[in-house]
Amino acid sequence: MNRARPEWPWKVLLALILLGLAAGIWGATKRIDYTWRWNRVPQYFLYRAEDPVQVPADGRVTEVARQGGRAVVVFEDETGQQHRFEVDAGTVRVDPGEDLFEGDTVGYRVQWRLGPLTLGLWTTLWLSFFSGVLGMVFGLVAGLCRISKNPTLKGLAVIYVELIRGTPLLVQIFIFYFFIGTVLNLDRMVAGVLALAVFAGAYVAEIVRAGIQSIPRGQMEAARSLGMTVAQAMRHVILPQAFKRILPPLAGQFISLIKDSSLVSVIAITELTKSGREVITTTFATFEIWFTVAALYLLITSALSQVILWMERRLAVSD
Amino acid sequence: MIEVRDLVKIFHARGHVVRAVDGVTTRVAKGEVVVVIGPSGSGKSTFLRCLNGLETFDSGHVVIDGMDLADRKTDINRVRREVGMVFQQFNLFPHKTVLENITLAQIVVRKRSREEAEAKARALLAKVGIAEKEAEYPSRLSGGQQQRVAIARALAMDPKVMLFDEPTSALDPEMVGEVLDVMKQLAREGMTMVVVTHEMGFAREVADRVLFMDEGKIVEEGTPHALFSSPRHERTRLFLSQVL
Repeated sequence: MNRARPEWPWKVLLALILLGLAAGIWGATKRIDYTWRWNRVPQYFLYRAEDPVQVPADGRVTEVARQGGRAVVVFEDETGQQHRFEVDAGTVRVDPGEDLFEGDTVGYRVQWRLGPLTLGLWTTLWLSFFSGVLGMVFGLVAGLCRISKNPTLKGLAVIYVELIRGTPLLVQIFIFYFFIGTVLNLDRMVAGVLALAVFAGAYVAEIVRAGIQSIPRGQMEAARSLGMTVAQAMRHVILPQAFKRILPPLAGQFISLIKDSSLVSVIAITELTKSGREVITTTFATFEIWFTVAALYLLITSALSQVILWMERRLAVSD
Repeated sequence: MIEVRDLVKIFHARGHVVRAVDGVTTRVAKGEVVVVIGPSGSGKSTFLRCLNGLETFDSGHVVIDGMDLADRKTDINRVRREVGMVFQQFNLFPHKTVLENITLAQIVVRKRSREEAEAKARALLAKVGIAEKEAEYPSRLSGGQQQRVAIARALAMDPKVMLFDEPTSALDPEMVGEVLDVMKQLAREGMTMVVVTHEMGFAREVADRVLFMDEGKIVEEGTPHALFSSPRHERTRLFLSQVL
C-alpha cells in the first residue's frame, strides 16, 4: 500500500512557524521600545534634491519670466553683462528690479537624485561583476595549470590556491590595499576588485580542476585520436562538458563573491554595506536600514540564481 | 603501411612491473585486415593504443606510413590524422549532435569549411545507415547506433588506417551485427584495419591475418583458417577451445 499522504498539514505547520517567528521579532522590538520608521527608508533610494541657484556678482534682476513649471530670471551685473538663470517656478525668491549681492539665491532647481542606497547597490553590482569576470579568468588559468604536467605551472597553481584559501579574505583585502596598493600605487577600487577576484579565482580554480577531471578520459583520447591538439580538445570537447557540470558550484561561488564584496567596505569603498552604515549615522534607523540592506543582497543573489538555473536548463538539452 | 619493431611497453603499478607489450614485431600491409585476439590482459589493447600514440612506449619503433612514432621530431597529431580509432566505449562527444560529432574534427583539424564537412558527414551517416539521426544527441541513440556514429566520425578524417579497440564488447548482443556489417563493408572497400576483438566469426570471415597475443607477446600468427583449424601452440589451442 502506497497511499499518498496529504501535504497540507505540514504546510500549515510551516506557516505557523513563520508566523511565530514574525510574532517573536515583533514582540522583541516592542520590549526594547524601538520605533519603526520605515517611511524614512525610501528617500535613501531616490529623493528630490533642491539645488540653490546663486548670482555670481552684485547687480539687479531685470526680468522674471514664468513658463509652465519653469521660470527664467534675467540678471544684469554691475558691468552690464546679462545672465539668465532657469529655476523651478514655485521657488523663485526674487522680483524684477530687486538688487542682489554676490552669492544671493534667486531660486532652486528641483530634480530627482539617486540616494546612497541605490548608489551603493550599483557599486556592489559592478564590483561583483568585474571581480567575478576576473576571478573566472584567474580560476580558469589556475585550474588548467593545476592539472598541467609541467611542474612549474602546477607548483604555481598549487601555491596560489593554498595561499588564498588558507588566509582570511579580510586580511587579503588589507594586504591588497595597504601593501600592493601602495607599492603599485593602485586606486582603492582597483585594489578591492583585485582582492575579490584573486580570492574568487582560487576557489574557481579548484572547481574547474574538479570539473575537468570529472570528464571521462575517453573524451580526451577520442579527441586526440582525431588529430586534435590538447588545446583544441580542451576548447571544443573537455571544457564545454566540464562547464556544464561545474555550473552549480560556480553559481555558489559567485553568490559568495557578491556577499563577500561587503568586506571591501573596510577600505572605504562605498558599496551597499558602507552606504547602509552611512545612512544609519544620519537617520538612526538602524534596524530598518540593515533589514533593507539584507533584502537588497538577497535580491541580487536570487536574481543570479535564477539566471544560472535558466542556463542549466538550456545546457541540459543534450542529456 | 604499419611497421612495428620490438615494441615494448612497461607499466609500473604498485611496485609491480608489468610488461604489457613485450617485444612485438609485425607489419600490416596496405589494404590488409589484421585481427588481434587473445585473453584479457594479454596486452592487445595496449598494443593497439601504441599504434596511434595514445600510449607512449618504452622502446622499439612504430612506423605509420613512413612516420616513426619513436622519433621525437614526428608530429603526433599528423600521424593521428591518418589513423582513425574506434573505442569500446564509443566516446562520442555527448554535448554535440551526431552531425557535430562528425564535423568537429574535420573543421578544427582538417580546416574544412562547414558545408564541406557537413556534406561529408551526411554521406558517411548514410553509409553507416543512420542518416535520419543527424540532429540527435548521442544519449538518445542505442549502443549500436553510437558505435556506427563513432566509426563515421573516424572515417570523416579520411584515415589511411583504422584501429578498432573491441568495438562490439560494450554492445547488447542484438546490436553487434549492425556494427560488424559496417566493418565488413569497410574491409571490402580496401581499408587497412587492425581490429582487437572477441568476435571470432568476424575474424574468420574478414581477416587476412590473425594475431594471437598472450602476456604481451605475439604467440602465433597466420591466416584465420590456419590459426583456427590447426593452431600450433598449446596456449593458442587452449584459448580457442575456451572461446569457440
